[in-house]
Amino acid sequence: MITDNRQYLEPKKVYIPLTDKTSKIANLKVAAQDNVLTGQIIAEKFNGKIKTPVISTISGTVIGFEERLDRFGKIIDHAIIENDFKDRSIELKPLEDEVAPAMIRNRLTECGIDQLTVDGIYTDIDFSRPVKHIIINAIYTNEPFISKDYEFIKKHAEEIADGITLLGIASHAETMTLIVDKFMDEETVDNLGKATVDKGIEVVIINSKKVQAWDYKIAKKLVNETLSNNLLDNQIIYTSVFAAKVTHDAVRLGIPLTKRQIAITGDAYKVNTLYEVRIGTPLSEISEELGGYDETSDLNIHVGSFLTGYQLESDEFSITASVDSINVSSLRIEKEEVCIKCGDCNDICPAGILPQNIMDAELRNVNSRIVDLNTHECVECGLCTYVCPSKINVLEWVRRAKRRVG
Amino acid sequence: MEFITKKPPIKSNQQRSYKRSLNLHISLIIISLAAILTRAFIAVPEGEVWLPDAMFKTFLMLLTGAFISVLIELLYSIGEGKSHEFSNYKRLVDPINTGLIIALLLPTSTPIYVLLLAVIIGVYAGKIVFGGNGYYIFNPALVGVLFVNLSFANQITYGETPLVLLKNALAGQTYTLKLLDLFVGNYAAIAIGSTSVILLVVIFAYLLVTRVIDLRISGTFILTILIVSAGIGFVNFGTASGLMWQYVLVNMITGLTMFAAVFLVSESVSSPTSRETKMIYAVVVAILTMTVRTLGAEIEGIVFAILFGNMITPFLNRTVKRSNKKIFIRTSIILLVVVIFTGFALGFIVQSRLQEIFSAAVIGGLF
Ligand code: SF4
Ligand code: SF4
Repeated sequence: MITDNRQYLEPKKVYIPLTDKTSKIANLKVAAQDNVLTGQIIAEKFNGKIKTPVISTISGTVIGFEERLDRFGKIIDHAIIENDFKDRSIELKPLEDEVAPAMIRNRLTECGIDQLTVDGIYTDIDFSRPVKHIIINAIYTNEPFISKDYEFIKKHAEEIADGITLLGIASHAETMTLIVDKFMDEETVDNLGKATVDKGIEVVIINSKKVQAWDYKIAKKLVNETLSNNLLDNQIIYTSVFAAKVTHDAVRLGIPLTKRQIAITGDAYKVNTLYEVRIGTPLSEISEELGGYDETSDLNIHVGSFLTGYQLESDEFSITASVDSINVSSLRIEKEEVCIKCGDCNDICPAGILPQNIMDAELRNVNSRIVDLNTHECVECGLCTYVCPSKINVLEWVRRAKRRVG
Repeated sequence: MEFITKKPPIKSNQQRSYKRSLNLHISLIIISLAAILTRAFIAVPEGEVWLPDAMFKTFLMLLTGAFISVLIELLYSIGEGKSHEFSNYKRLVDPINTGLIIALLLPTSTPIYVLLLAVIIGVYAGKIVFGGNGYYIFNPALVGVLFVNLSFANQITYGETPLVLLKNALAGQTYTLKLLDLFVGNYAAIAIGSTSVILLVVIFAYLLVTRVIDLRISGTFILTILIVSAGIGFVNFGTASGLMWQYVLVNMITGLTMFAAVFLVSESVSSPTSRETKMIYAVVVAILTMTVRTLGAEIEGIVFAILFGNMITPFLNRTVKRSNKKIFIRTSIILLVVVIFTGFALGFIVQSRLQEIFSAAVIGGLF
């Protein structure tokens, strides 16, 4: 239960990762001992097609570069910037009213808005390929654990709606869809409804209590074709309301993306909080602020959604724009039982493939059968493991099968 | 500080295989008790069996079934060095379930040594040989029951069960059955488990909610029996006399139809795993059941039918490619057509046979 709202915006140092999941090469634009402003470009990362700037999230001095663990569990280069606590920012002109698509795209790049949601089938905000549909998810974290705290949406409904429209303009999208939860409180839904009316945004209500990859189904209905592992291939940008809000801030107010609101939860903490943090702060610092961990049992860190997120061996990673929730809890491992062939995993699979049969084929080492079963269509949503009554990690078997033939 | 990692996903829902077998366990115990109690009011031919005897015998059979089944698994696991598992009741649930089902599938009059053999064959050859729970291909209980049904046909006797009466009715004999008796289970039963259909329906609902059984198997199975028996009834009796509906009713609520729908066809390990194959499987089992009931020498065809279904399960499991709406609708339509067609076909086959018997009788009379 989240009981607290806190801020941690002035760390002594920030550690900014220079590359990410998709952009693996970076060119430095600053050197050690340089002074930088908030929002200043310190490097450019490259994903093979386009260059995206990496920006500083505080003002201060670059004191060096270091290899550290990032939020995906990879060791990559980070820039270390020491805070001068003056928060001198670069100046960006607010863009009012009608804005040309190219201008929005430039502004988003300048403000470091590219990779905001990475769990499950969320996509990067990438305009280098044609886009037909924009899907925005207003449900705070991914299925099946849904936050009931919608303060953020309530307060910023107008900005979010404007952000969605801006994303639509920037990508020349034909449709814009907003996913909301049946169990959202009235005020949140009202505010969103008022804000989105007349903007051509379709609001889709789902029932989050029934876990079944709603986003996948909505996307599938829009394009009416087999979905790829990366929705950008299907001309869809799928992201969260947070992305819409920062898009609005960047375009309308000229504010670069330097802060992030994240949920920090788990039984290892004394309090569970919604934290507003400076991007680049290591988790260890925030945990210290929270009074450390309860270390009586083995702990486990989970970043992002419970079904598709990442687990890390250390809390020294820095929080990036793409971290939306962190859970630190004692590790409970359930004993795996034998598959009772109930078929629950086959029923839930949103891609319409048969994970139990794939697992069987993988156990019997029959490659042709794995190919026949359309194993490559698996989007790794993790639902098959979620529903299995025998607690088998079905997804892991599907992954293995994929690797074998892929 | 070091943190432990585990392959995600790390959360799962509340369903547990163990909880499912426990729910099945509870249901089986309830049915067993009900079966013992119904013996109290089933009329027995004068001077043959004393009433408390029938009750005690039923109780003894159920107890022996469960006990022997546990014993065999225990002995085997001592050999494997895993006997400590048996100190936990959890480990006993599954063997007891198998033992109870075997006992429930035999009539009260079965000699105890026949039951013993059924359990030994069922648990050893049907389950342990394949690697235990979760790995077997054929429903272990049915393997045991089929074995004794074939080898000890003379020892396994039952009276004039409603299905026997029906079979004779197709050949022109008359019979009387009271509807109420059928519902509460007051009739000569083909097996201990063939008790009150009302209770079975309640348990059916309970197991459906707890997801032990799958509506797409059990539901399709019941529906198919309904349609096929309606077809046979229609061809043979017509809609006018009401006999057709009696025929349907007796097929639905007596014999092992409901018992099978609750405890046998939906047994998850030996049935297919995807939506469409589950339906195909259920239809095949139901059609075979009805075929044996009408054409075969045996009275109850469910044991054969389900074992046959188990046999084609690996084949079904290894031929499906995917499961989506289009395939689902197509399968449903094809199955429906097949079922209706079979119903009428069986009806006509039964009739032509009647004519044969008739002409044979006439010729016999002439000479
Ligand atoms: S196989 Fe499992 S992880 Fe892959 S799409 Fe299906 S349910 Fe999701
Ligand atoms: S959900 Fe688990 S137990 Fe059921 S068929 Fe799939 S893998 Fe087997």
